This record gives sequence, structure tokens and C-alpha cells, in this order.
Amino acid sequence: MKKVINVGIGGRSFVIDEDAYQQLEKYLDKFRDKIGMGIQTKDVMEDLEQRIAELFSESLKSEQEVVNLSLVNKVISQLGMPDGSPVEEDFTSCVSGTPNSVVTKRLYRDPDSRVIGGVCSGLAYYLNVDVVLVRVLFCIAFMLGGVGFWGYIIFWIVTPLANTASKKCEMRGLPVTAENLRKFSIYK
Amino acid sequence: MSDINTDNIKSQMRKGVLEYCILSILDNHDAYASELISQLKEASMIVVEGTLYPLLTRQKNQGLLSYRWEESPQGPPRKYYSITAKGRALLAEMDGVWEELIQTIALLRKNSN
Repeated sequence: MKKVINVGIGGRSFVIDEDAYQQLEKYLDKFRDKIGMGIQTKDVMEDLEQRIAELFSESLKSEQEVVNLSLVNKVISQLGMPDGSPVEEDFTSCVSGTPNSVVTKRLYRDPDSRVIGGVCSGLAYYLNVDVVLVRVLFCIAFMLGGVGFWGYIIFWIVTPLANTASKKCEMRGLPVTAENLRKFSIYK
Repeated sequence: MSDINTDNIKSQMRKGVLEYCILSILDNHDAYASELISQLKEASMIVVEGTLYPLLTRQKNQGLLSYRWEESPQGPPRKYYSITAKGRALLAEMDGVWEELIQTIALLRKNSN
């Protein structure tokens, strides 16, 4: 028995295996990162998703059929990356092997519960302490002089924003599983 | 001789004319992304499809292409790309450059023999 997920891709709905969903999500994240076209990225991703939906529909015999990992991998290798490079091997192997075996935790800024830049909330996740404590400490540092202020600004600049579901998982130190991804996904 | 370096040069050359190819196809008829892809693949102009999407968006934003949504017999509507007047003007210019390139190469080849 396997858990499946309902997703909407390019205006069509598909039933997809959990591991296949993870793989696809990872691929889309990577593709998005590589486009580097700023605001136009959305248009490119829209075209890409449409194409993915088309390829899925061509391969599935009926609407009830589930999209599995091998189909997702096939589609990914057909699509490749925006700069023309094929998808790196480690990308396909690391997921098809044992997913969520290594959980990494990284420092991000938290866009969901931010007061100013999301620095405190991100730090709190990273250090595993209460966010209120971090905010109080920063407030005290603010009042003591410029160090707190500049410290905050520097953190703000150098820490990336957790703007995708998988980054939000990494920020919280959760394994990047479909279930966790869905919790933080914008397409709820 | 067919090592990584040669492959790299080949792919660079293809990449250079890819935008020209897209405009040429669309000059004949409007097409949606998958149609473009299958034509370009047949001509072995692209290996992976991912390269095409950023190009289409860039050309659209430069005003060379436009698109419209059209109903399709199965599935959701499709995005049809078509060439604009600006795109046609650029295409004509590219035709000139292409001719020039061919002549230059022919000349250089003749001299070297």
C-alpha cells in the first residue's frame, strides 16, 4: 500500500505517488532557481507545468492511473534544466535511493511569522529556542547601541528567505517528505 | 575527437541559432510549445526541452512573440505562440546575417584548401 496525493499541474489534476511528488517538487525548485529571470520566472514555470501535464496525460492510460516515480524521472530527464544541462545524476539518485534519510537543518529567514525580516523566527528554529526569547534579546541589543541594529541588518542580508516549501522544511529541520511539503506549500 | 570539448562547441553553435529557429517556425504557422518542441527535436536542435521555455518568455517580453489561449480538443486550453511584426523584422535581419555567415564560412573553407 502506498500513499498518493492529488495535485493540480498545468490546469489538470493528477493522482501522484508520494515519492514521485517529492521528486517533482525538488525538480521544479531546482528549475526555478536556475532560470534567473526575476519576475518573468512565473511565465516560464507556467509553460513548464503545462508541458509536464501534457507528458503525464500522454503516458497515462486512464485518469485513475497513478503517476509514479519512474514516469516522473522519465519526464524530468526529457525536460532537463533551463541552461540545457541534463539533470545531474546525484539529483535522481539521491531521491530514488532512501528519501529523507539525512535531515539537514539550515538557517533561513521565516516569511510566515515575521515581524521585520523574519530573522528572529528563523534563528529561533535554527537554535531550537523560543522565538520570543530571540526577539527579546534582539530588542535589548537594539537598545544597548548600534551592534544589535547592525547585527540584525547583517543577518537580514546574508540569510536567504525560506520561500519554497522544501526550504521551509529545511529551516525547521524536518525531513523533506511530501507530507511536510504539503504543510508549507502555497498550493494548498 | 568527439570529446566533451567538441560536444560543447556543437551545443554552443546550436544555442546561438535557436532563437532564429523559433522565429522561423513561427513565421510559417502559429504553434504551441509542444509543437515547437517536436519540430526542434526532429531537427536535433535541442536535447532537453527545458532550454526552450526561458527563451520563449524572453522573446515574448521583447515583443517578438505574442501568445493567445486556444481551446483544445482534449485537456485544458493551449498557449499558442505567434510572431509579431517586430519579430518578423528581426527575422529578416537574421536571414541576412545567416547568409553572410554561410558565405564567410564557404570563403574561408575555399581559401584553406
